[in-house]
Amino acid sequence: MANIFAFAESRSGELRKVALENVTAARNLADATGGQVHALLVGAPGIAAKAAQLGAHGADVVMVCEHDAFTQYNPEATAALAADRIKAGGFRAALFNTSAQGRDLAPRVAAKLRIGLVTDVTSVELTGDALTAKHPINIGKVIATVTIAGTPAIVSLRPNTYAPVPNAKAGTIEMVAPIGDPSASRVVVKELVTGSTGKLDLAEAPVIVAGGRGLKAAENFKLVEDLADAFGNAAVGATRAVTDDGWRPHADQIGQTGRLVSPDLYVAVGISGAVQHLAGMRTSKTIVAINKDKEAPIFKVADYGIVGDVFEVMPALTAAVREARKGH
Amino acid sequence: MKIAVCIKRVPDMDVRFRIAADGTSLDETGIKFDLNDFDAWAVEAALQLKEKAGSGEVVVLSLGPTAVQETLRKALSMGADKAIHLQADKIPFDGFAIASAIAAELKDGAYDLILFGKLSPDSSNGVTGAIVAELLDLPCVTAISKLDVADGRGTAKRELEGAQEIVEFPLPAVLTIDEGLNTARYPSLKGIMAAKKKPLESKPAALGDASVNVSQLEMPPERAAGRIVGEGAGAVPELIRLLQTEAKVL
Amino acid sequence: MASGQALRVVPSEHQPPLPAELILREPLDAEAVPMDVVFVGGGPAGLAGAIELSRLINKDTEDGGTLGETQIAVLEKSSALGEHSLSGAVVNPRAFRELFPDLTDSDFPFRGPVTNERVYFMTEGRAIRIPTPPTMQNHGHFIGSLSEMVRWLGEKAEGMGVNVFTGFPVASLVMDGEQVIGVRTTPSGLGRDGKPGSGFTPPTDISARVTVLSEGTRGALAQAYMNEADITSENPQIFALGVKEIWETKKPLDAIVHTLGWPVPNDGFGGTFMYPLTPNLVAVGIVVGMDYRQTTLDVHELLQKLKTKSPFRDYLEGGEMIEWGAKTIPEGGYFGLPKRRHGEGVMIVGDSAGFVEVASLKGIHYAMQSGMFAARAIFDALKKDDVCANTMARYDALVNASYIVSDLKERRNMRLAFQNAGLYRGGIKATLMTLTKGAFPGGKIDSESDAEVSRLVTPDQPFTPDGKLTFSKLDANFKSGNATRDTIPSHLVIGKDITPEVAKLYAHMCPAGVYELGDNGRLIVNQANCIDCKATDVIGPRWTPREGESGPKYRLM
Repeated sequence: MANIFAFAESRSGELRKVALENVTAARNLADATGGQVHALLVGAPGIAAKAAQLGAHGADVVMVCEHDAFTQYNPEATAALAADRIKAGGFRAALFNTSAQGRDLAPRVAAKLRIGLVTDVTSVELTGDALTAKHPINIGKVIATVTIAGTPAIVSLRPNTYAPVPNAKAGTIEMVAPIGDPSASRVVVKELVTGSTGKLDLAEAPVIVAGGRGLKAAENFKLVEDLADAFGNAAVGATRAVTDDGWRPHADQIGQTGRLVSPDLYVAVGISGAVQHLAGMRTSKTIVAINKDKEAPIFKVADYGIVGDVFEVMPALTAAVREARKGH
Repeated sequence: MKIAVCIKRVPDMDVRFRIAADGTSLDETGIKFDLNDFDAWAVEAALQLKEKAGSGEVVVLSLGPTAVQETLRKALSMGADKAIHLQADKIPFDGFAIASAIAAELKDGAYDLILFGKLSPDSSNGVTGAIVAELLDLPCVTAISKLDVADGRGTAKRELEGAQEIVEFPLPAVLTIDEGLNTARYPSLKGIMAAKKKPLESKPAALGDASVNVSQLEMPPERAAGRIVGEGAGAVPELIRLLQTEAKVL
Repeated sequence: MASGQALRVVPSEHQPPLPAELILREPLDAEAVPMDVVFVGGGPAGLAGAIELSRLINKDTEDGGTLGETQIAVLEKSSALGEHSLSGAVVNPRAFRELFPDLTDSDFPFRGPVTNERVYFMTEGRAIRIPTPPTMQNHGHFIGSLSEMVRWLGEKAEGMGVNVFTGFPVASLVMDGEQVIGVRTTPSGLGRDGKPGSGFTPPTDISARVTVLSEGTRGALAQAYMNEADITSENPQIFALGVKEIWETKKPLDAIVHTLGWPVPNDGFGGTFMYPLTPNLVAVGIVVGMDYRQTTLDVHELLQKLKTKSPFRDYLEGGEMIEWGAKTIPEGGYFGLPKRRHGEGVMIVGDSAGFVEVASLKGIHYAMQSGMFAARAIFDALKKDDVCANTMARYDALVNASYIVSDLKERRNMRLAFQNAGLYRGGIKATLMTLTKGAFPGGKIDSESDAEVSRLVTPDQPFTPDGKLTFSKLDANFKSGNATRDTIPSHLVIGKDITPEVAKLYAHMCPAGVYELGDNGRLIVNQANCIDCKATDVIGPRWTPREGESGPKYRLM
C-alpha cells in the first residue's frame, strides 16, 4: 500500500486546473497499490470550500491550511508546510506540477527533505520499490526514463498530460496549522497582476491557432483570432515567415528560433509546414491543418487535415466551434 | 556588490541527438556546446548590477568536466572577474547532488546575490537554484523577468500563466533568471583578450548523494500519419465530430 | 517588347556596385585593439598562414630573436571555426605535410585515403561508366570534411598562441593613403531598422601592421581592395555554385564518384560528386558554373533531381540527409588571378585570390600553401621592420614560383573552353588541352564575368520535393544549422529595375531560399535564410558582412 501526496495549486482563492490533474495522477498511483491520496490545499481563509472538488477527483483526504499570509503564493511558508506534511505522512510519492508555481515550490520542498526530484514529467509509474518517470530532455528531442530511489519520491508533472478525471472519494477535510508564522516569510508576493495582457500565453494555452503566409495579408489574421476566440481557451501563434513580414510580433513565432509548444490542440491555418515550424509544434497532442496545397508538409504531421481555401474554411469552422462550445 | 553566477555548458539543441551505447547518455560526437542562454542572461544581469553599483565582483562557477572551463572563459570575456571550476567527470542528473556541491563552494563566499539561469535545456529540470537557496537558507525568487535592487532589498517580476507576480525580497538572496530580463552582451574582442589573464580556479566538486538517476534514454515516437478529412468548408462538420469524439479536445 | 524576340535578363544591369563602406579612409579608433598581423577569415588559408607565422616567430624567439611579442589574430565571422567552411572534399595532402613536417598522414583530420574512383557520364535516363580523365585522378589524395579540417587547424593555431576570434566579421578595411592600417568589425545587436537594439555591441577597430585577406570565395574586402588599388586580372574572375548534402546511408559507398552531363544543361559547365566520409556517411553534391544561360536554372533543384537517379539513388534512398550547405567556387583559374596579390600592408590569399584549379577540382592545398607563403613573407618583413609593398611582394614571388601558379597555368584555358562551347565542344577542347599540357590552343580564351552573361527567360521546371530523398530550399536551409537572428537589418544590397523575371532569376540562383517572387510580382528577400555562399554577390544583390555568428553552422561540410 502506498499513500500519495498531491499538492493542490490555487491562485486568488480558485483551484488551478493542474490541481485536479495532480489529484487524478495521484489517484492512479494510489489505486495501483491500494493506497490513499492526500492533497494539500493552502490559501486565504475560505479556501477549504474548494476541497470538495479535490475529493470529487480522487482525494481521500484534503489537508487544508488557511491563513491571511497565504492570500498570495507564499513560497517559503508553503514549502515548509508541504515538506512537513510529506515527512509526517510517510508518503511513497509527492506530486507537484511543472507550472510557474510548482516549478518554484517542488525543488524547495525536495531540498528541505534533502532529496532530489524530477520535474516536467509526462508519465509516472510505481513498480515494486522503484518509481519511474518519463521526462523529456533536450527540448523534447529525447525522452529520459528516470528512476527515483528512496522515499518519498518527489515528482512534478507537466501540465496538460493528465486530464482531470472525476472519481469521487471522501475528500475528508483535515485542517492543518502552518509551520511557524507565514507572515514572517522573507520572500513576499506584493502584487498579482492579472489580465494585463488579456492574452493566453502560448506555452500554457490548451489550444493554439497559428497562421502562416497562406493568409496572404496581416489583416486576414482576424480569421485566426476569430477561431481562437471561438475556442475561448486558445492563444494565437504564427510562423517565422509571418513574423518576418511584420504581420505578427516575433513573440508569437513558433518554431526553431521561436517558441516550442505542445498544446492539446494545434490548428495550423495556411501553414505549409517548414521543418523549423514543425520542430516547434510537433509534440502537440492533436494537430489540425487547413491548407489549399494537399502536398504541403504540414499534412504529414497533422492528425486531421482539410484541403481548401482558408478564406472559405475558416469562417465555417469558427461558426461550428462556437456552436459546439455553446454552454461552456 | 559581490555576485556569484552559476553557469552550465549545454549542447547546441539544433541537432538530432543520438543515444550512446550505454543507453543512458547521449553521444557527444560532433555536438557543439555553449553557455546556456538562461545562464548568459544571469551573467548579463550580474554585470549590469555591478556596473550600476560602480564596484563589486562577479564570480562565475560551473560544474562539470574540464571542457566547462571554455564556458567559464566565455563568461570571463563577457566581463566576469573570476571563475571557479568544480570538477566532475559527468554532471549528475540529480539536482540535489549538483546543488550540494555548489552550496558547499558558495557557503562562505559572502555573496550578496547568487544567480542561476532558470533552466538548462538539456536536463530540463530547473531545480538547482532553489535547492542551493534552501541549503544555504537564503531567500529565493525563481524565474524572474524583471529585477530592481537597491538598499539591500530587491523587487522582481515572475511570469505566471496569464498573470505576473511582483515579489520583494531581502539580500543576500538566490535568483533564477528567465527570458526577458535582458539581452546578453557578446564578448568583445578586448574582453576575450582580457579573459585570458583572469583567474580560473579548478577544484573537485563535493557532489551530494544522487537518488534520481536516468535509467534509459529513448527517442520520442514518430507521429502516426494523419488523414485528410475532406476538402473545403464541407469537411468542417466531420472535423468537429472527430475533434469531439475521437481526439476529445472540443 | 517586340514579338518573337526572346526575353532575356543580363544580371549586371540590375546589380549595384560594391558598397563604398568596405574601404574606410579614416583614423582607427583611439581604443583600437593593437595587433601585428590580422588574418581576415578563419578558413584553411588564414589558419595555415597564422600557424606558419606563429611557428616562424616561435623559432626565431628560441634563436634569440625579438619578435616574441608579435600578436597574430584570426577573425572569423562564424560562431565557431569550420561552420562556414564547405568543400567536396578530396584533398591533396601536400600543404598539410609541409605545414606539419613532424606529423604523418594519419595524424591529419582526413577521413581516409581515396581507394576507388568511378566516373560516369549521365543522361536523364542512365549513367554510363567512363574512364577516369587524367585530371580527375585522385590516387594519393584523401577524403575529408573541410569543416573538420578547419576546426583541427584552429586547435593547432590556438595551441601555438594565435588569437582566434570567432563571431567577428570584418566590415571594412581601414586605409591611410595606400597603406592598409587595420580593420573594423561589424556591429551586433542592431534592430531591423538599423538602430542599436538591446545587446548592441559597437564595431571594434583592430590595428595591424599586415592585414591578410583570407575571406574565402568572393571575398567582399578582397574585391573592394582590388578595386581601390586598381588590381586587375587578364579575365574577370568567374564562379561556380556548389550545393552539397551529407547523408547517412543504409548502403555503404566504397568509392569516390564523379559524374558529367545531366542534370547540368548541355550549354552549362558542371559536374557532380559523391564521396564516402565513412562507408555510410556520404557527401553528395553538384557544381554548376554561374555563367549558365537560363533564368530558371536552379542548382539546388538540380541536385535534388540528381539524387532520384542511379547511381545516387542506389545509395541514398532509405537513408537520411543530415546536413545541407552551399558555396561558390572561383573558377577563373590562371587568367582570373589578380595581377598582384599584395599591397602596402596587405595580402590576398586562398579562394579570395582565386587559387583554385578547376580541372582537378582542388583548392584547399593551394589555399593553405598561399597562406604559408604569405606568412613567410610577413615574417621577413617583420624581421626587417618594413611592411611596405616591396617586402609584401615577396609573397607574390613565392606564389608565382610555386606549384600553385604552374598548376593553374597548365590548365589555364580548360574551364574557359566551356563558356562559349558547352559540354561537347568544350569537352573536346579540354581534352586537347590536357594532352598538350595547356599548349593548345595557345594564347587565352577571353571571357566575360558571370553577371554579364545574358540569360534566356525560361519557364519554371516542375519540382515537388518528397521530404525524404528530395528537399525544398527551406527544409534544406534548416539542415544547414542556420539560426540567424531574424531581426537584423538586411545585409543584401538590392539593385534597380527588379522585374519579375529578374526576381525569378534570383529566386532560382539562391540555393537557400533567400529570394522569392511575391504574388504582386515583387522581390521578397528572406535575408535570415542567407548561408553566405556568395552566389548572390556574383550575379545578384550584393552581399555585405553582417552581425557575427549569423549564417550556417556546418559540422561535416
